[in-house]
Amino acid sequence: MHSPLVAVVVTLSLLVLVCGVVVAVRDRPPGRVTLAVTGLAAVATLLQSVVAGYDLLQGRRPPELATYVGYLLGIVVVLPLAGAWALAERTRWSGLVVAVGGFTVAVMTARLVMLARGTGA
Amino acid sequence: MPEGAPAPARSTRPTASGPGRVLVAVYAVFALAATSRAAVQLATDFAEAPLAYLLSAFSAVVYVVATVALATDRRWSRPLAFAACSVELAGVLVIGTLSLLRPEDFPRATVWSGYGSGYGFVPLVLPMIGLWWLRRTAATSS
Repeated sequence: MHSPLVAVVVTLSLLVLVCGVVVAVRDRPPGRVTLAVTGLAAVATLLQSVVAGYDLLQGRRPPELATYVGYLLGIVVVLPLAGAWALAERTRWSGLVVAVGGFTVAVMTARLVMLARGTGA
Repeated sequence: MPEGAPAPARSTRPTASGPGRVLVAVYAVFALAATSRAAVQLATDFAEAPLAYLLSAFSAVVYVVATVALATDRRWSRPLAFAACSVELAGVLVIGTLSLLRPEDFPRATVWSGYGSGYGFVPLVLPMIGLWWLRRTAATSS
């Protein structure tokens, strides 16, 4: 895992969490800022998985390879799905939906780092 | 209701509206997590802990069914969601208790081990919220 990229993904995904909670508290549907941050976080997440996948092909294999690959694939779909689900009904609850997505990506990235180091269970 | 008849004016709310959308989102995360975990476990080292891994697969199915049932608004959605949440609650209570009483039978964690302590006890709270939400959205029915 590339540390700068991991930092960007975690920062952006936590920003998604904050934006989502803020719009929900303000009782508004997610606006442009929240959606833009969600989009950026989704792109950064995809990039993270692509780079990590490239490293795998170069032969750097973590001990729990299958779990690691599962996380790399799964993490990519979280924010696009959360965004689509949030856009389908634009209420304050859509903000919490993207917030859940952002939190999930942050947690999954932390797990990916542990798995890459071989310290994850 | 006869087959093919238009749906009558309903007094229940779709479960995927309002706060229910957040519930569906959380369920979807668990469906994704449990399914991937079960797939990896079954594919790589099934023989190591068959019981725990079969339970993982079972819980994955329950989460997927609950997610779909809560996200949709068909005639079967509500009873299916009720069944899935009930099975889920029973599962987390039974497996949670067994994993504490007989840890040797559960060498590898399932989502429901220790009442879902590995997942911040969300697996324990989620079915309760699901059942409450089903009741809540049906509360206006005659």
